Amino acid sequence: MSNEQAEFADFFRASWEPCLRAVLAVVGSPQLAEDQVAEAFAKAWASWRKVRRHPAPRAWVVRTALNTGASWWRRRSRELPLADHDPTVPGDLGNGLDASLLTALRRLPPRQREVIALRIFLDLDNDTIASQLGIEAGTVRMHLSRGVMALRRELTPANNYGRLINERQR
Amino acid sequence: MNASDDMSDSDVLTAVRDRLSGMPLASPPDVDAIMARGRARRNRRLIPAVTGTLAAAAVAALAVATLAPGAHPAGRQGGHQPAAQLAAWTVTKLADGNISVTIRELTDPAGLHSTLRVDGVPASVTFAGRQNPACRPYPGGTLPPQLGAVPTLLLRRVFPKPYREFPRSRHVDLPQRLSRVGVRAGPPTPRRAAPPRPSANQTVIVIDPSALPRGAGVQLAASSSLQEIFPPQVVHASSQCTGS
Repeated sequence: MSNEQAEFADFFRASWEPCLRAVLAVVGSPQLAEDQVAEAFAKAWASWRKVRRHPAPRAWVVRTALNTGASWWRRRSRELPLADHDPTVPGDLGNGLDASLLTALRRLPPRQREVIALRIFLDLDNDTIASQLGIEAGTVRMHLSRGVMALRRELTPANNYGRLINERQR
Repeated sequence: MNASDDMSDSDVLTAVRDRLSGMPLASPPDVDAIMARGRARRNRRLIPAVTGTLAAAAVAALAVATLAPGAHPAGRQGGHQPAAQLAAWTVTKLADGNISVTIRELTDPAGLHSTLRVDGVPASVTFAGRQNPACRPYPGGTLPPQLGAVPTLLLRRVFPKPYREFPRSRHVDLPQRLSRVGVRAGPPTPRRAAPPRPSANQTVIVIDPSALPRGAGVQLAASSSLQEIFPPQVVHASSQCTGS
């Protein structure tokens, strides 16, 4: 294995999980997230000489994975719907609370979701997130603040209790 | 005031991260497979730049595929593809009544589904990485999972290609044979001859509609991200599976 291959392999092993969690937080479907992240890493290797010099290679992978998903979604939106085919809803995550949190994330506007995912899983600062998403740092702060406000409600114990009551009454 | 009101923005983000970090994830794919896929992508990107001749040939082939009688080429999908691009897939009715499906790109499964239906083949087509869970296999319509399994008589009748070509091979690995540039595809084992294929970048599946039992359809599934086509199957036709 060449030095370049070994370097990429190290990067892949160290970055797979945080990148996957970041993309999962945005897209909501584990299977879709895995597919998109795998595709993004393949693209990273195809352009490794460029990506390795990138200031935030993990952010490059996440952004590429999300763009891959956007292309997929645009393509899908032009296709005829097939009954029950290609489900996109989150699968059985084996944890109701985590599934509800993912649902809460899915309720956020896409940009807020991306900002939060890049912050919590890649630990990027506002300026880096801004440069990755091509927006102003102030806009990142705004998205972060609004997203956190919405998620804070989800984390409220009383809110969880109320949701459980509502679900039982249905 | 409740507990959450006391949480700072940082606390909220930490709580979200901790809860989502506890979710189980699938193991990462093999890094060699990822690199193989990246290499294939790089090669695909480089080839048109190096050989304009190939691009011209592709344009000519597209014209032929579009104009051939009985052929239904898929429309191109997305604006990011190079200008010289063959149709993603082509469905052709052969002289003997069989239907030939040539897949070059794993796009537009709904279009392929509709086209096959027009040609009298109830089909479930998914390119989302797994087979349609609503489909129930028809008895004898699934290739046994063991490596080297011999396709059933039903499979060989319904799918003259690929199954009839390798009825007695002891080392048939259909996902590997059918894969286009699949990351799961390794080099062919030395114990078997290379399958006859018109191009390494396309997969041909031939369907004999007359061999389909009443109430049965076909299932074509693939993973668009892995660029891998799974072995075709015969399934029970239903509204959830084949849409008919």
